[in-house]
Amino acid sequence: MKQALHDMNPSIKFLVTTICMLTLAFFFNPWTPLICWVGVILLQLCFSSINWKKWFLFMIPFVIMSFGYFWTTIVFAEERTGAIVWSVFHYDITKAQLDHALSLSFRVLAFAGLSLLFAFTTDPTKFILSLMQQLKLSPKIAYSILVGYQFLPVMKEEFVHIQQAHRLRGAVRDRNVLVRLWNLRRILLPMLAGAVRKAERSAFAMEARGFTGEKRTEFYQVISVGKNDMILSSLFFLIIVAGCSSANWI
Amino acid sequence: MHEVIMFDSVGFRYPDETSWLVEDLSFSIQAGERVVMTGPSGCGKSTILFLINRLYPENCDGELKGRVKLLGKDGNEYAPGEVNHRIATVFQDPDAQFCMRTVEEELAFTLENLRTPRSEMDRKIDEVLRMTELTNYRHAVIQQLSGGEKQRIALACALIMEPDILLLDEPLSHLDPLAAHSFVTLLNRLQQEQGFTVVAIEHHLDLWDNFFQRELVLFEQPHVKEIRKRQAAKQNECALRVKKLSTASFLQDASFALQKGEVAVLAGQNGSGKSTMLKALAGLISAKGTVTPNTLGYVPQSPEFLFVTKTVEEEIAYGGGGRTHELMEALQLTKVADSHPFAVSHGQKRRVAIAAMLNDGREVILMDEPTAGQDAVSLHELFRLIDERASEGTAFLIVTHDMEFAYAIADRVLLMKEGKLTGAFEADEVWRNPKLLAAHRLMMPKGALEHEASFA
Repeated sequence: MKQALHDMNPSIKFLVTTICMLTLAFFFNPWTPLICWVGVILLQLCFSSINWKKWFLFMIPFVIMSFGYFWTTIVFAEERTGAIVWSVFHYDITKAQLDHALSLSFRVLAFAGLSLLFAFTTDPTKFILSLMQQLKLSPKIAYSILVGYQFLPVMKEEFVHIQQAHRLRGAVRDRNVLVRLWNLRRILLPMLAGAVRKAERSAFAMEARGFTGEKRTEFYQVISVGKNDMILSSLFFLIIVAGCSSANWI
Repeated sequence: MHEVIMFDSVGFRYPDETSWLVEDLSFSIQAGERVVMTGPSGCGKSTILFLINRLYPENCDGELKGRVKLLGKDGNEYAPGEVNHRIATVFQDPDAQFCMRTVEEELAFTLENLRTPRSEMDRKIDEVLRMTELTNYRHAVIQQLSGGEKQRIALACALIMEPDILLLDEPLSHLDPLAAHSFVTLLNRLQQEQGFTVVAIEHHLDLWDNFFQRELVLFEQPHVKEIRKRQAAKQNECALRVKKLSTASFLQDASFALQKGEVAVLAGQNGSGKSTMLKALAGLISAKGTVTPNTLGYVPQSPEFLFVTKTVEEEIAYGGGGRTHELMEALQLTKVADSHPFAVSHGQKRRVAIAAMLNDGREVILMDEPTAGQDAVSLHELFRLIDERASEGTAFLIVTHDMEFAYAIADRVLLMKEGKLTGAFEADEVWRNPKLLAAHRLMMPKGALEHEASFA
């Protein structure tokens, strides 16, 4: 049970979360996104074993962003007529204003919740393999992404190495962030040169092993679609339906 | 015996180039042969390898003339990728020939390319892992393995195709001597068992012992004077004093000193902490202990990592030193003074880096693996550079796997093992002590053996 979301077919999970997000975009009231957000969290509590500490850390920027939306919508609202429901720091907040603000900020949270659910329960390699097997993604693109993914740690190491070398030359870090960004080009140039070389080598290595980019018929790691995927997809849709219909009865 | 590769007056040139890189080349290779192709770097050895596995001419739009016959069929008659099912390649760079995360996935990638039925995949993976003695590595993450292990995996990936011909593109150049030795031993056994043809390009035949039956000299090596053991130029003045240098995680208390004009080699197997030591000395990573003087020169394996300006001259003057012209003269860089430092040759880049360091008043130079992947000519150039500078009083600390080079250049040898400096020995003491070398997984340099023999 605790692994169900991790074991779910990544392509299906991707499609379902995308549909959920698109649907949410059509509903502009505080309750739909709130119910969806809570539903998604419940789903993760029941069917996944994610690292909640990490989840909270990743959620922090979204919470700040959603508060920002909330605050700006209230302060800069166009309509200021209607029943006042709340008064704070000489601001009179009307029902319509509050609804607007809450819908926007909950929407941010709901989108963040869905994205994090996908990100934390999906293995990137399996996702790409599944895209290739279920959604017929071209192997050329799929394997390019996989190779790129393998390069990331090497690139990071190289970045640190060049940075250290430059510090040795006495290239001091400038106080000004913009200048610092502009100076980054000195690090990126050798990295780019190295990356182009490496990419060519990798491409050659892959072709030398018979990779042609044609559609494949045999897979070693078969990513299947099963009953588990049906059940979880229905749960996702149940949450979204509950959220959407709440617009009518609240 | 039958012919598997036949080149009949083959010529090749890259697009937009007027001169032929390879011209009128003819040779043939029989099934089951072990052939090595030699020639200086940049002469087109790799190009010929790419003509055999058909990565060229398609991938670079180069122009090919003459006839290449592979496994009894004209090269042009093969469909893209078809010949790669029978001709496998192991490349030079252990970091740029894998596309999956784990060993198992990588092997499966190859089998999927061959359209092997899924039911047979498991058996084939098992078999090739057993053959290459990698059974325990089946689920290992490739990026976390050492260079030697990665090259073994690359070999496994090539052999899982059950190829007729195995091509090797300088497969040892990034390995430490013992890893290289065990790679050759393994390949020797596998070739005897399976009987595939081996075609390699390599400019460092020392590590291969008598593996190859035939050497195909593609281009005559420009005559390089053999690197002779250099005369020590040690002066009686301390250049570097290190006391109790350690890093939080790995490096343990290391103390040693270098004299002016002394050349020391830092050796030990991969992962013993040599690079960490250099970085700690150069102050690139935080470390405890004292290093006097506190500014040392550092030349990474890719010297271009150091470059921050647009011309060689500016590069050398960047630190504000007043000896720019003098040093450019001394290091033969005057001709390229206005070139972009990225656009000069590898040897020149290294000279620029050293000149810049010396101009900053950094009289001790630390070099990280300057010998990796260098052919005889550039090794000789490196040797001369160090020798010249040392006689001017610069002290060097050089990390290298190339024991022949170390034998020729070193006054002293610093040995490392598991993050610990086990000692700073007089060089001759180390070469005379096989036990000490073996304990640090190092090979006895041939030069030392000959020397011993002549005195026996």
